[in-house]
Amino acid sequence: MQPAVAQSSLIEEFTLAATQAVATVSFSDRSSQALCAALLQAVGGATSILFAPPHELPVELFSQFVADPRVRSNPTPEEMVASDAGVTEAFAGVASTGSVCIDISFERTGMVSLMAPLHVAVVAAETIEPQPRDLFRTDVLGGAGLERDFVFVTGPSATADMGPLVRGVHGPHKLHIIVLR
Amino acid sequence: MNPADINPRQVANKSDKQRLLDAIRMTLAVQSPAVRHNTQTFNRNRYAATSRLADYNQLKDRARKIKENAIANLPQLLQQLEVSLKANGGHFYLAKTAADADNYIRDVLVRHQATLVVKGKSITSEETKLNHALEAAGITVAETDLAEFILQVADEQPSHIIAPALHYSRERITALFKRKFATDLPLDTGEELTVFAREKLRQKFIAADAGISGANLIAADSGSLMLVESEGNIRMTMILPPLHIAIAGIEKVVPSRADFGTFIELLPRSGTGQPLTSYVSILHPPLKATPFAAPGKQTKPREFHLVLIDNGRSRMREDPVLQEALYCIRCSACMNCCANFETVGGHAFGGETYSGGIGGSWEAGTGTLLNARFSELCTGCSRCVTQCPVRIDIPWLNANLRQRMNLEEPATPAKSLFGRMTGSAEEDRVAPLQKQFFANYDVMAARAARSASLANAVNRLSVVRDLMESAVGLDRRRKVPEFPAKTWTQLYREEHAAHATQTGQARALMFADVFTNYGSPERGMAAIHVLRQVGVEAELSQSLADGRAAISQGMIATARKQAVAACQLLLPYIHQGTTICVLEPSVLAMFRYDYAHLLDAETWAKFAVGNFVEPMQLLWSVAKAQGLDLSQLFPAARSPQGISIFYHSHCQQRTCDTAWQTIEVLRACGFDVVTSSVECCGMAGSFGYKREYYELSMAVGEDLFAQVRAAEQNGPRTLVATGTSCHEQLWAGMGREVLHPAELLLRTTSR
Repeated sequence: MQPAVAQSSLIEEFTLAATQAVATVSFSDRSSQALCAALLQAVGGATSILFAPPHELPVELFSQFVADPRVRSNPTPEEMVASDAGVTEAFAGVASTGSVCIDISFERTGMVSLMAPLHVAVVAAETIEPQPRDLFRTDVLGGAGLERDFVFVTGPSATADMGPLVRGVHGPHKLHIIVLR
Repeated sequence: MNPADINPRQVANKSDKQRLLDAIRMTLAVQSPAVRHNTQTFNRNRYAATSRLADYNQLKDRARKIKENAIANLPQLLQQLEVSLKANGGHFYLAKTAADADNYIRDVLVRHQATLVVKGKSITSEETKLNHALEAAGITVAETDLAEFILQVADEQPSHIIAPALHYSRERITALFKRKFATDLPLDTGEELTVFAREKLRQKFIAADAGISGANLIAADSGSLMLVESEGNIRMTMILPPLHIAIAGIEKVVPSRADFGTFIELLPRSGTGQPLTSYVSILHPPLKATPFAAPGKQTKPREFHLVLIDNGRSRMREDPVLQEALYCIRCSACMNCCANFETVGGHAFGGETYSGGIGGSWEAGTGTLLNARFSELCTGCSRCVTQCPVRIDIPWLNANLRQRMNLEEPATPAKSLFGRMTGSAEEDRVAPLQKQFFANYDVMAARAARSASLANAVNRLSVVRDLMESAVGLDRRRKVPEFPAKTWTQLYREEHAAHATQTGQARALMFADVFTNYGSPERGMAAIHVLRQVGVEAELSQSLADGRAAISQGMIATARKQAVAACQLLLPYIHQGTTICVLEPSVLAMFRYDYAHLLDAETWAKFAVGNFVEPMQLLWSVAKAQGLDLSQLFPAARSPQGISIFYHSHCQQRTCDTAWQTIEVLRACGFDVVTSSVECCGMAGSFGYKREYYELSMAVGEDLFAQVRAAEQNGPRTLVATGTSCHEQLWAGMGREVLHPAELLLRTTSR
């Protein structure tokens, strides 16, 4: 972990870069209640919410959220293609680019982070690294790190192929990031 | 034929030069506004994004090293990769030819009874013409990248390596979709078009039996892939269907996943100019998570195939010149910073698959030499050299392609005689007359200068212009430079007899380049005189060809001969530590960079230690070192032209990083300076003089002319430029006098 002061400036840089990449960012304390409130605020009026259970963050942190009847932790294919939002954890963030890193080795995480129009990613502040290249440091790539399937997500999906820049193409139209303080 | 009716596919293969010329007409008439807007946006964004990268140059060095080592060790890396992939449970296939790759992929799909395939953008699959092969086997291929979707609907080849349909404006996409889909839906905004395409394609993703993607990089240590995108279609292609096939060239293999860390910083910034694109996937396929099963369908186990294609790449690897092209990471920086590419795009400046500056080497390497004919549109302006994240000297590759194409030309007695008379090296005498004419400008100019007034009178004769146009393709709409009554070296000798060198003055050698010597000696003398004002006494060398003109015609043997002679002239001065001053930026770039290719290694080592500077750069550094007040020496207020100027720096001047000194000098003198931001004026030495490229050259110049007009909204400005060709082009576009910075300064001192 980085020293506290350095980490707090990384979080600032992260928030600024993510906002420039047209993601929205909010903060939450590490309690099930606080995170649930932040998540429900982020998903707004969604009626069906896909959820990929976390592997790095404590599962209990999401216990109040998963009790919401709209949350689908084990969605059917029909629900997968017709939901309004997808919630995943991010195992790391990148300050210079405002990216979140989603491990898609786990069941459904890739799809949950991709198929709904809104993606909400929860990232722990201390996992924010300075630059993309830091995710390829030898200490990160040791052991299972070399085999991890993951994606740097930076803002919503976008294209300029149809003339002007359009946000919201095949992937999510919106990206919201909740930083756990 | 009306240029708007020319189909891009019909002119994709440009081995016949007429197709190149037709493609230029077509793109200028139809595609140019969209291409300009999109490439110039990428270009601005790249400059901004890379300038914020503190260790940009170190990253480029590291990227270059990784690629050099990877290509050198490619056979071992491929073996290691195969082992890694198989250990993961993936399949590996090394295809010798494009057809081998297509057949393998088709067979895998048939074995899986796949009828619908979703596909992410893969230019390599365009090279193998994969879609045709699959469709012939009854497999439906859905291109899911929106640009590739447009191209599939339009049946066109890509015009750009990362944004393959950037030649389409929104209006043209609307018209295309309305025509092809016969729909009444409103499709008049980017959003509406995107929604229309997305909904069609979402159904395909859900129902697809297999996904085919490319790969930006592949790591041998783990079998990892890196894929860069923004739309999310590549992620869907790889994640949703149970069967994933990735196709890539063998040159995409690097030793380790750790190497991705260097390229992830460089590739998006060099391409779209974003710090990162929306999605960068780092995979270790086959993926561990279960694939998607459409409602009512059974889940199938994942299967992954990596198809690497050779298709000429091993031959490129053995080729001392084309080997460099294998370092390319396909970011498109060389296209976006290229003035000709910005004006016509890849349907003219490109072949069947690959386009832009680096595209010629790829078409030649994976196809035949003549497929690289379009690389004639590389003017050698060198803007791409500093923009390439792996430091490929793209103009040098194109000069070599040009030489090889020259050598394919038949020898004729006329060409041979002309070559002997004008000084072409023996092996270059098969080159077309036009090329030999432009390459040996020095010899012809030297002859003409002996009777300048006669030569000028003759050049003005209509019948002579007819002859010049038909014999060597010199466009009659261009002004042929007038030969001065006295050359630079003559003027200097006359003056020098009268002007005794004062002791204690710093000495420099001014190289009498042929363009200034025979074309604009007054500029040369102005440079000598302004340097004298800051205490630098420059001695003028004899006038010699430097090789630039010859290299631009692909006459490398001639260029080498000229370089050796210029080197012999300069080496004694270099040995003494004398600063070498070069007025013409394209010549300065020859001495600083290109001679590395032309001189033998030992001579180059001796030559390269020379201090080669531009006169205004020297003036700037002397003024700075001595604390001179330039506003006293050259007060702008005294300028008969007024203090408002428009300054256009030369393309090679910016590559040599000597433009900013001129701008600082002008501002320090008190001038109000507006600068151009175009990459190149479009004249680019002989390029704009050629009959077949006149329209393109003037279309490129239009960006510069528009910037002058915009700068002059509040009143006229004096046009100032450093390069000889920029002077000619500005003169052609604006119809008035253009000064060299030295001339501007000198006029402030006349009493």
